Amino acid sequence: MNRTSIKNKLILSFLSLLLIVMVAVGVAQEITENVITALAVSAAFALAAGIFFGSIFSKSIVTRLTSLSSVATEVSHGDLSKNIPLLSRDEIRDLEDVFAVMVKDLRTIISEIKSVSEQIENTGKDLSMQIANVLTSSREIDHSAMAIAKGSEKQSLIVQKTSLIVEKSVEQMDEAARQSIQTASKADDALRKTEAGETNARETLNYLEDVLKQLAQNAQPIVRLSGKVEKIKMVMNVMEELSQKTDLLSLNASIEATRAGEMGKGFALVANEIRSMAENSRNSSQEIRGIVDDIFRDNEAVIAALKKSEDDINKGRSVIRGVVGTFGEMLAGVKEIAAEVKSVGDVTRSQVREMRGLISQFQELSRLANENFVSTQKTTIGTKNQEGQIQKIVKAAKSLNALSQKMAESQRRFRLHGD
Amino acid sequence: MECFIFEAAKKYLGIEAQYIYRIADDVKPAPVPLVPDCHVGIIYHRGDLFDVIDAGKLLGKESSLSQATPYVILLQWEQRKLGLIPDRIVGLKWLDETEGAETLFGQDGQTIQMITPMDLWDMLTKLPYGS
Repeated sequence: MNRTSIKNKLILSFLSLLLIVMVAVGVAQEITENVITALAVSAAFALAAGIFFGSIFSKSIVTRLTSLSSVATEVSHGDLSKNIPLLSRDEIRDLEDVFAVMVKDLRTIISEIKSVSEQIENTGKDLSMQIANVLTSSREIDHSAMAIAKGSEKQSLIVQKTSLIVEKSVEQMDEAARQSIQTASKADDALRKTEAGETNARETLNYLEDVLKQLAQNAQPIVRLSGKVEKIKMVMNVMEELSQKTDLLSLNASIEATRAGEMGKGFALVANEIRSMAENSRNSSQEIRGIVDDIFRDNEAVIAALKKSEDDINKGRSVIRGVVGTFGEMLAGVKEIAAEVKSVGDVTRSQVREMRGLISQFQELSRLANENFVSTQKTTIGTKNQEGQIQKIVKAAKSLNALSQKMAESQRRFRLHGD
Repeated sequence: MECFIFEAAKKYLGIEAQYIYRIADDVKPAPVPLVPDCHVGIIYHRGDLFDVIDAGKLLGKESSLSQATPYVILLQWEQRKLGLIPDRIVGLKWLDETEGAETLFGQDGQTIQMITPMDLWDMLTKLPYGS
């Protein structure tokens, strides 16, 4: 479509009006000869035509301006959804184009503002949530820092107490080390005394061995005497048997002599004498047997006493052997004890050195615990400050939310296409 | 009267010496069944069999077999033979007066009871078997 300006339209309208006036003048001159009438008719016709064309022209412009004004009014009320009708190619069209571009730009800006507002609102919500989380975390950090501070304080106290206990233990171990040295010295003394005791026990054992040999040699004649007494008893048995047989023989002889009567009286006398001798012999034999039995019993008692002495000495020897063995075991034990005591002393001294290092480590630990306590106190103060700052951020976020809500409310005043 | 004196059942007993055949020792009587308790057994001595009697059990209650080597008094009369085991043999004694088989004689403050072999035999035969 070709562009037509209002000026041209006015010129064209004026020319058209002029033409119409001229036509009207011409027609009026044709109709009437009167110039004035003709001029009047022409003027009236021209005036009517001017009014007609003017009203049409002005109406066309006013209508469009009114339309533009109503759209502008709608836009001023926030309704950006209205479209401006584009009917001509004149200067008003330019105004309409500019207005349409402005409305379009406004739509774009409002849309962007809406998007940004939504983003700000969402961001504000996220920020609020994050701030709430940060606040919770900060409070947790604060609680944790306070717990760590308390723990550090307790740790420091425990370390100090432990350090005191360890120092006391070190003192006791020092004492134990000194006592272990004394014990080692006493163990050496005990070792020497045990060696002396073992030597004495061995000498006693050798002496008992000699006594036992001497006793066995001394017991030999008594044992031989016992054998001889046994032989005497056997001889006495034979003698008693002989006297018994003699007695029986004399008795039978007396009986035979009695049976022989007067002829046997002399024989009976002899037989009685023999029987008397046999009885005497038997009595003597019994007396000798009694004496021999006494000797035998005494000899047996002596042998039993010797045997008992030998048994006792053997027991004593075994006891002293046990004592010697015990002394040997004691010697080995005392040696082991001395070595153990020395080892314990060395270990104790080594432990004392290590414990002293441990004490310095405890002191370092205590210092670190104190530093930890101070750091946690600082952390607590920092978290408190952080909480205050977070509160400020919360306020700012709330302000931002309020602004975004206001912006959203302002934005809601505008209506776009599709709203 | 020549009298053979021995001790049994805590008493001194005397038998006339003519009834004494021999004193034997170291004999081991062979046991015989179904005889009184005092019958120890029988022995064989020089061709003759003798019934051996425990005098302690026959005349009293305590046995005379406690000695290690008991003597056996062998009696022989009227074709009868009897062995008597006493507690102890005293020996032959001459006794002046006799007043029968039951006469008592003094001996070291003790009394001696005179018996005959037949008395002993009668006492033995009156005992029940196995008593």
